Amino acid sequence: MIQPGGARSVGTSVRRKEDPRILTGQGRYIDDVVLPGMVHAAFVRSVVPHGRLHGIDVSAARALPGVLAVYTGEDIKARTNAVQPGSIIGVNMMPGMKTPSFHALATDKVRFIGDPMALVVAETRYIAEDACELVIENCEPLAAVVTYEHALDPDRPPLFDELGDNIAMTGEMTIGDIDAVFARADRVVRATISVHRHQNVPMEGRGSIAAWDEEKGQLTFRTSTQSPHMVKMLMAPQLNLPMEKIRVIAGDVGGAFGLKTGLFREDVALAAAAMDLGRPIKWIEDRGEHLAASGQAREEMADIEAAVSAQGLLLGVKMDVKLNSGAYPCDPFPGAMYVGSISASFQGPTRIEAIAARSTAIFSNKATYVAYRGPWATADFLRERLLDIIAREFSIDTVEIRRRNYVVRDRPPLNMLSGQSFAGVTTMESLDQAAALVDWNAFRDRQRSARGEGRYLGAGVASYLEAAPGPRTPGTESEGGILGDEVTHLSLEHDGKVVVITQQHPHGQGHETTLAQVAADELGVAFEDVTVRYGDTDITPPALVATGGSRAATMANGAVLHGSRQLRMNLIELSADLLEASADDLRIESGAIRVAGSPNVTLTLRELARIVEEEPDRLPTGAGDKLRVTQSYDGGLGGWSGGTHCCFVEVDIDTGLVRIDRYLVVEDCGVPVNPAIVEGQVRGGIAQAIGAVLLEHSAYGDDGQFLAGTFMDYLLPTTTVVPNIEIHHLDTIPLDPHVNFRGVGEGGMIVAPAAITGAIEDALATLGVNVREQHLPPNRILELVGTIPAR
Amino acid sequence: MSATQTIQLTINGLPRSAVAEARVTLADFLRDRLGLTGTHLGCEQGVCGACTVLVDGDAVRSCLMLAVQVDGREVVTVEGLADAAGMHPVQEAFWESHAFQCGFCTPGFVLSTVALLRENPDADEHDIREALSGNVCRCTGYQSIIEGVVAAARAAREVGGQR
Repeated sequence: MIQPGGARSVGTSVRRKEDPRILTGQGRYIDDVVLPGMVHAAFVRSVVPHGRLHGIDVSAARALPGVLAVYTGEDIKARTNAVQPGSIIGVNMMPGMKTPSFHALATDKVRFIGDPMALVVAETRYIAEDACELVIENCEPLAAVVTYEHALDPDRPPLFDELGDNIAMTGEMTIGDIDAVFARADRVVRATISVHRHQNVPMEGRGSIAAWDEEKGQLTFRTSTQSPHMVKMLMAPQLNLPMEKIRVIAGDVGGAFGLKTGLFREDVALAAAAMDLGRPIKWIEDRGEHLAASGQAREEMADIEAAVSAQGLLLGVKMDVKLNSGAYPCDPFPGAMYVGSISASFQGPTRIEAIAARSTAIFSNKATYVAYRGPWATADFLRERLLDIIAREFSIDTVEIRRRNYVVRDRPPLNMLSGQSFAGVTTMESLDQAAALVDWNAFRDRQRSARGEGRYLGAGVASYLEAAPGPRTPGTESEGGILGDEVTHLSLEHDGKVVVITQQHPHGQGHETTLAQVAADELGVAFEDVTVRYGDTDITPPALVATGGSRAATMANGAVLHGSRQLRMNLIELSADLLEASADDLRIESGAIRVAGSPNVTLTLRELARIVEEEPDRLPTGAGDKLRVTQSYDGGLGGWSGGTHCCFVEVDIDTGLVRIDRYLVVEDCGVPVNPAIVEGQVRGGIAQAIGAVLLEHSAYGDDGQFLAGTFMDYLLPTTTVVPNIEIHHLDTIPLDPHVNFRGVGEGGMIVAPAAITGAIEDALATLGVNVREQHLPPNRILELVGTIPAR
Repeated sequence: MSATQTIQLTINGLPRSAVAEARVTLADFLRDRLGLTGTHLGCEQGVCGACTVLVDGDAVRSCLMLAVQVDGREVVTVEGLADAAGMHPVQEAFWESHAFQCGFCTPGFVLSTVALLRENPDADEHDIREALSGNVCRCTGYQSIIEGVVAAARAAREVGGQR
């Protein structure tokens, strides 16, 4: 659908501004950038999961023709400062948190398969890789720490000697009167539920180009990132450079899904090498490096005791949560910090009255735990799985158990246990609509008759809330949270066109399009005449996280909406002088100022901009400043995103294969700016969830060996796995007088694993199968149904 | 490993000649020697399909082929589809369908689709899903891509021919 310029653009699926360049091969991803004099880097990585590094011989590598330099861990250590992960936002000071300090490359120890030990710089990537083969390390293997049991075993060596053990974080949390709800409970339901390690896997891996200008003492760092300013802020102390001497530039980014929010160790080594060599150096990660060393996510589990009433009402839970955070903590968001978010986010749309949680995060000889689309997703998986378990124990249907447990808007409780308001929550509407659309009862009939034919059909349902950003809690300053307010620059340029400079760094979300839609509507200019710029820390407003946390819909659109209104007022004010009309009689339409009642009098924005520049005497002093607006936005009154997913599967108990026959979403993300983009976000998240449940596993052997280093081992969902997904949008309950666009990036990924696993368990229920884990590839299905023995 | 060879080929309709080491892949040759960076490398293992190009009309993975193997042959990359009249109908259909998000896998899907519709102009959804099962997209869940292919096939039938 194409919206002609001038008509309202928000709410229509305008074709994306990004697409002509990406469809014709004109995108500019990091590996497409070539600088004069540029040379190429490759990393030597550990093939030992845990070991003491006694030495590394790089002489043969240095001698290879075409090699410019080889940097060992000690070489980089001498040129950089150690990182204190999380210190920029104070995460390292969280009670119970332990964050070791370390350097970009391994020095005294290696701590996972893929740990970078040396950096080779050569004329070509081919030569750099040849040289890597010539590096010989002297590494004494140590016992690997792989599982929770290993980490808690005092006989296993600590990853970081100075910490004394492998505990990364411990915490406790109690909200509500937990003893009272257990005293009231008619039954206590127990379950141990786990989520396996899997990972973001953007199609473009990591990559950067570091260029040092000796004369200016300035580093220009081009990289594939979600957060250019974060890279700059984190890099400065490690390189011992003032922040203003670092410029980070990012172009098109081939996906990230949370991975590319921080600073990677390889980037620090690359920058240090470029500063030393004085040549621009490019590093482009290959897929093997990516799978082993970029970062991995989830790997969490919980022992849960649930206090349940006779009617199946979940009154409260006690949970013991564990998280495997891998080796080097991620900067600035160490994986261990997410263990607390699992109990903190457990409630979702339920009316639960009390939660008591103990949380433990461990270090292990696995890749660094990183944020992955909906980093608290395990909370939703635990809650929805638990509701299904209760439903089965009480012989209540899975839809009915949710009707009993979910909150109803404007009825008590009005707030979550955390104090956050349930204002505008539409979970129950989404559940009712989903159940009606799929004709739940008719499915049960079909399921029964299929079982007579030896076929196993199942249905799963799950609901969620996505705080994107969530309703404002009364008395709080901002919904921006620790990530702060959103700042946007807007300007009318000399050619009469509008430029929006956003702090976002889109990497598939289409913000060049959606922010332009909002600006065009608010300003009264054509969508085509708005350009959205981003990706250069010299021009964009600083932001800790640029694009992430489902913030853009509310925060970035909100900043653009209010900034556009300010700019419009400024333009009208300037025009009122020129046209000798009252500002009240002026409006902007199709890129021109028009006067009510005088259809022949117009002033195009191009002409206005020309007058401001060339004939400033016609306007009051300072008119030029009126063409530029910097707008900060605190999130307004916010509001929930959320909804219900229904999944229908057929399980083949001879092959273990699961086919998804139908997948339906009823969701509320406020007012969609561009429905096709919203639906793409929802479907993309569900596809990743399908991969997580049926295919993907960042698997390690008990010896710490990495078992998923290629796309033949780490399987991604393809066209033959992901079905068409029906999406129905609910009418939202607006909370803010101006901005009711809400985030939608994470919702699909956080709830779909529960709907899919629920469907599989439902299909196999008559075989007595209990599903307590998220990863259900064919071999695991066959174990569960007893076709093959469980390992 | 430094043995080089001169490779003569037709690239996007134009004759070109360039020198490459024998071990250089077609993908690296296209990107580094010919400056055609639209061909993307997603895995270098022949699985993801992002590097798909057409060699003598067939969709191939340029990461699994050596540059020397295209000597004397005709190669089309994503840069070679649009002409003075605008984008290729497949590209237009993908734009209209909001087919892609981050764009990294896109060139491979575009070329696999061009090859598919040349071979099977009447491809239905099942055929399309089978034919594109060797191209991985991490962003979209594929539905928008399939819709784009269906639209491109329909458009090609309506104009009664193909480019």
